[in-house]
Amino acid sequence: MLNVITSFSRITILVFIVVFAVIDLFQMFEYKLNEVVASVLATIQAVMLVLFLVNASIVLYMAKEDATVWFLFAGLIIFYIVFSIIINVFTNEEHFISKGLINNCFLFVAMGIVTLERLKISLAVKQFMSLIFALVIAVAVVILVKKIVMIERFVFYFAIIGILLLSLVAFMGQVENGAKLSLAIGSLRFQPSEFVKITFVLFISACIANYKDFRGLLIATLGTAIHVLLLVLSRDLGMALIFAVCYVFVVFIAYKNYIVLSVELGAAFIGGILAYNLFPHIQTRFLAWSDPLSVIDDKGYQISQSLFAIGTGGWLGSGLNKGMPNKIPVVTNDFIFAAISEEMGALVGVCLILCFCATVIMLFNMAFKCTNSYYMLVDCGTAIIFAVQAILNIGGVTKFIPSTGVTLPFISYGSNSLVSLTVSLMIVLTSNELYRERVHHRGRHAR
Amino acid sequence: MQGNKKKIIRKEIYIVAAFFVIVFGAMIGYFVMYVNKGSKDFIYNAYNSRFSVFSEDVKRGSIYTSDGTVIAETKTDEEGNEIRVYPDDRLFCHAVGYVNKGMAGLEAQYTFDLLKSNIELSDQIDNNLAGVKNPGDNLYTTFDYNTQLAAFDGLGMYDGAVIAIEPDTGKIIAMVSKPDYDPNTIAEYWDDITDSTNNKSSLVNRAIQGTYPPGSTFKIVTTIAYLRANDGDSEFNYKCSGSINVDDYKIHCSGNKSHGTEDLLKAFSNSCNSAYAYIGINLDRQEFVDTAEELLFNETLPTMLESTKKSSFKIDSSTSDTIVAQTAIGQGDTTVSPLHMCMLVSAIANDGVLMEPYMADKIVSTDGTEVSKTEPVEYGQLISSEEAELLQSYMAAVVEEGTAEKVDFGDLTVYGKTGTAEYSENKSVTHSWFVGYAVGDNGKKLAVAVIMESAGYGSKYAAPLASKVFEAYFE
Repeated sequence: MLNVITSFSRITILVFIVVFAVIDLFQMFEYKLNEVVASVLATIQAVMLVLFLVNASIVLYMAKEDATVWFLFAGLIIFYIVFSIIINVFTNEEHFISKGLINNCFLFVAMGIVTLERLKISLAVKQFMSLIFALVIAVAVVILVKKIVMIERFVFYFAIIGILLLSLVAFMGQVENGAKLSLAIGSLRFQPSEFVKITFVLFISACIANYKDFRGLLIATLGTAIHVLLLVLSRDLGMALIFAVCYVFVVFIAYKNYIVLSVELGAAFIGGILAYNLFPHIQTRFLAWSDPLSVIDDKGYQISQSLFAIGTGGWLGSGLNKGMPNKIPVVTNDFIFAAISEEMGALVGVCLILCFCATVIMLFNMAFKCTNSYYMLVDCGTAIIFAVQAILNIGGVTKFIPSTGVTLPFISYGSNSLVSLTVSLMIVLTSNELYRERVHHRGRHAR
Repeated sequence: MQGNKKKIIRKEIYIVAAFFVIVFGAMIGYFVMYVNKGSKDFIYNAYNSRFSVFSEDVKRGSIYTSDGTVIAETKTDEEGNEIRVYPDDRLFCHAVGYVNKGMAGLEAQYTFDLLKSNIELSDQIDNNLAGVKNPGDNLYTTFDYNTQLAAFDGLGMYDGAVIAIEPDTGKIIAMVSKPDYDPNTIAEYWDDITDSTNNKSSLVNRAIQGTYPPGSTFKIVTTIAYLRANDGDSEFNYKCSGSINVDDYKIHCSGNKSHGTEDLLKAFSNSCNSAYAYIGINLDRQEFVDTAEELLFNETLPTMLESTKKSSFKIDSSTSDTIVAQTAIGQGDTTVSPLHMCMLVSAIANDGVLMEPYMADKIVSTDGTEVSKTEPVEYGQLISSEEAELLQSYMAAVVEEGTAEKVDFGDLTVYGKTGTAEYSENKSVTHSWFVGYAVGDNGKKLAVAVIMESAGYGSKYAAPLASKVFEAYFE
């Protein structure tokens, strides 16, 4: 009986996710949709999300016989409703574009929790707790930012916070898999680079918005260089790459200068070659990427297991709980995409990549909607970081590019990245309001 | 609301967004290609332990020869344990492989298909509900049982390999390698089989992984190189006195026999070392290398088989004439696999067109539905049809009036080349080679390559074995 349901659910789950992803493709071009249509589409997406969760929960409950599945199901639905209400309260108006964005991020969160339930149910519970914690922090941050007038004046505070946190990791961090990523505080692991992602975006946007000339570019460049160097020192190469790409594109959007862009890309190219020749661990990453089977006992083990999982699962997947995703080392973090593809099928994997792409476009659309150039840059920076992180992760898992050890946004297990992402998302969703609030303040001062 | 605020339109945002869309698109494309095709290189890897999960729901399918004889099947004993049984013990061991100790051969390459059930969906649901395993799909190979048996028995106690290919399709009809092992008991005798001190390497499939000196069978390659150096003109004249001096090195004809005045056909059918050494040292070396590489030396062989070995051909401008002369007669540092020689011959038999060899013909579900069928794949024109025609006549002469003159091939029309390959300092022990093809009454052809290690003259050992293989196939 379980076999039949699991097997059949592969198709139904696929249908729900495909419908969701197809609607995403329409929403990417939201300016062409009228509001009624857009609102109907967003509602269909919400229904698909619930159906997906119901279906996955039934299969997992039957396989695991653990009622926690249903508590998490209820918790997720409540979270979705609460989150939507909070965004409504902050923004006072119906933005269907933000509905699409919320739907996508919730799909990722739900996908992550379902996969974690299947891999190790206690981690799913922890992840849900982190989610609530993340929401609380995000709301607190937005309220705080609303209170601060002229946030872009705080250029140097952002830089100093970021550099200090990264230095702490570089010089005192715990070594994990050859990289220093986190600080231990009691039994908690604090991963500063996740939060520096936010301060970094605020910093370079502030530089540019504040000075509006090449002084801003100079300070932003210097600040970025320090950030990236500290990350390279900690051997957190994925994160260093994310920061560098974010800087290059934000500067390009702000200054519209193709010469600066080509100089930066040239510098990045030379830097890449230098790094490759200087660091043996980058060379082994490349080897593990170009021919993982030749080093399968060692550096190629993880990527090979990931490719086994995706390949063996095939287009339709083995069915939830029917594969062996636990064979992949750290599957709950960096390689969770392989677990999803193995059991829910590569077609769901393709849909997920489409959804990530759509999410990036929606984030850029939010930037378009911005009435203020500072928040426009912040939104762009967030979109770029999100895009690069998704590409580095999925690309690394599928052998599209060498693995860089970054997590998959909203899906991978880990409270640090979940909090950081929720805060960024909340800032983007409310960025227009944050600015309006400030206009209001300014008006009062003028009086 | 804030109507006075204009939107900030920047086309740079479009450019950056478009960049990311392209990268995401490329990633989707790559991912689709991997799942569709590339994953085959990975999922059959021995490190992939996921198949154990499939076998919880599916009973592994059987493997058959093309004539319907079971050569591997899963039986369930009274206690419900599944045992993989190979009814013919060692007969198909290298081709079919094993599953009891890791996986190898067809068992490894097609494990995925054998563990999938494509019976009617309603039957699958019935089985699931009844708690019965679904029967996995069956694999039909290209092997002909009797031909395989003739090759296996013919090789007898000798180490070596036999491979037979149908030239116009690439179907592998027989494939034997010795020393061998019994896949039924491989787990019990594993330590013995893999014991490196006895130097047997029984697990190696010499038919596709052997690296043998080609001996005189390589004269096929040298002949093609000569033809290409002379724009297809086979005009040649040489007076053989039983040996030739190249620098300070003397190359003898077999048994020091002096062949007298020869044209190319005579030199080929007599397997005249002096004439071919002479041809070799007069060839442009780069052109010689180019020809060998066009004939798939130093290349991965175009076949659907896995873990084949590349043949090796290495000379360059710094190679001494002595070595070039030896290379031209199939000694030197050249190595070939029997599969490669058989592919060369099958291209000659097929008027120059090479078909990629394969041994998995079709996958059929237990209720008779054909799940997939391998379509023959044409590699293309390995040699020109003129070259093929010429070599056909030379190989016919080998059997009619040359080194294989005394071999009894019955009523069949046989085309061949013998070889006697030295492989160590001791020149009195040699590998016995025969490569060639036969044409039956109905026009059907079969190409074979036979190597018998340390047996002696090709005409005395390998050619008679090829004759038995032909006889079994065309019977």
